[in-house]
Amino acid sequence: MIMVRAIIRPEKVDEVLAALMYAGFPAVTKMDVYGRGKQRGMKVGEVTYDELPKEMIFAVVPATDKELVVETIMKAAKTGNKGAFGDGKIFISDVDEVYTISSGRKETASEPVVA
Amino acid sequence: MKEILAVIRMNKMNETKRALADAGIASITARKVMGRGVGKVDYLLLQGAQAGYEEAINQLGPGPKLIPKRMLMIVVPDELASKVVETITKVNQTGSPGDGKIFVMPVKDSVRIRTGETGDVALDEMEMVA
Repeated sequence: MIMVRAIIRPEKVDEVLAALMYAGFPAVTKMDVYGRGKQRGMKVGEVTYDELPKEMIFAVVPATDKELVVETIMKAAKTGNKGAFGDGKIFISDVDEVYTISSGRKETASEPVVA
Repeated sequence: MKEILAVIRMNKMNETKRALADAGIASITARKVMGRGVGKVDYLLLQGAQAGYEEAINQLGPGPKLIPKRMLMIVVPDELASKVVETITKVNQTGSPGDGKIFVMPVKDSVRIRTGETGDVALDEMEMVA
């Protein structure tokens, strides 16, 4: 299983979550974060914002679904056709085990997530 | 080293922290998060709405809604990972959907900023294992 962590624009959250739900990945956690990229923030008139509010969403999905999830997020989170600075980034990491607290069920890489 | 990411109910936070401290796991990081799982509606949300709480009723609208949760991030030596998972599960398991999930992930390296130590010794819980 892998964890897909996406840092996206706050105004794109609803779209991305709906797209993930529609693609079959309803289970998602979201956090408010602040950050900057290579552009070192944003200058609006006289004020330089060196930390911009973003939303981080993460979902743990079977490794075989990686391309689908990444594509879904990218399509929904991109602004317009060409995209723009500030659209965000997606990070993929490994997850060794997943426990569901209510049922006590354990899933590992060999017995994949059914969600 | 393993990172244990647990998404749990808001009202279980204090109990969980206490149980972890009793088990010897003192170092944790916590965040308020919003999330949802596969279940259509959280059982507690339904109860809240039936009891007439406005926030719960607002959240029961159509479409995917996110529910406030708490997230714990704990990094421990490999040997303690199952103990942490057991402690969290025992305190949080009510049996109804919405209890939460625990993710166990590998950590490549840790650094103690004060001393610059890296690897397993950077974790406080190393003393419990050694």
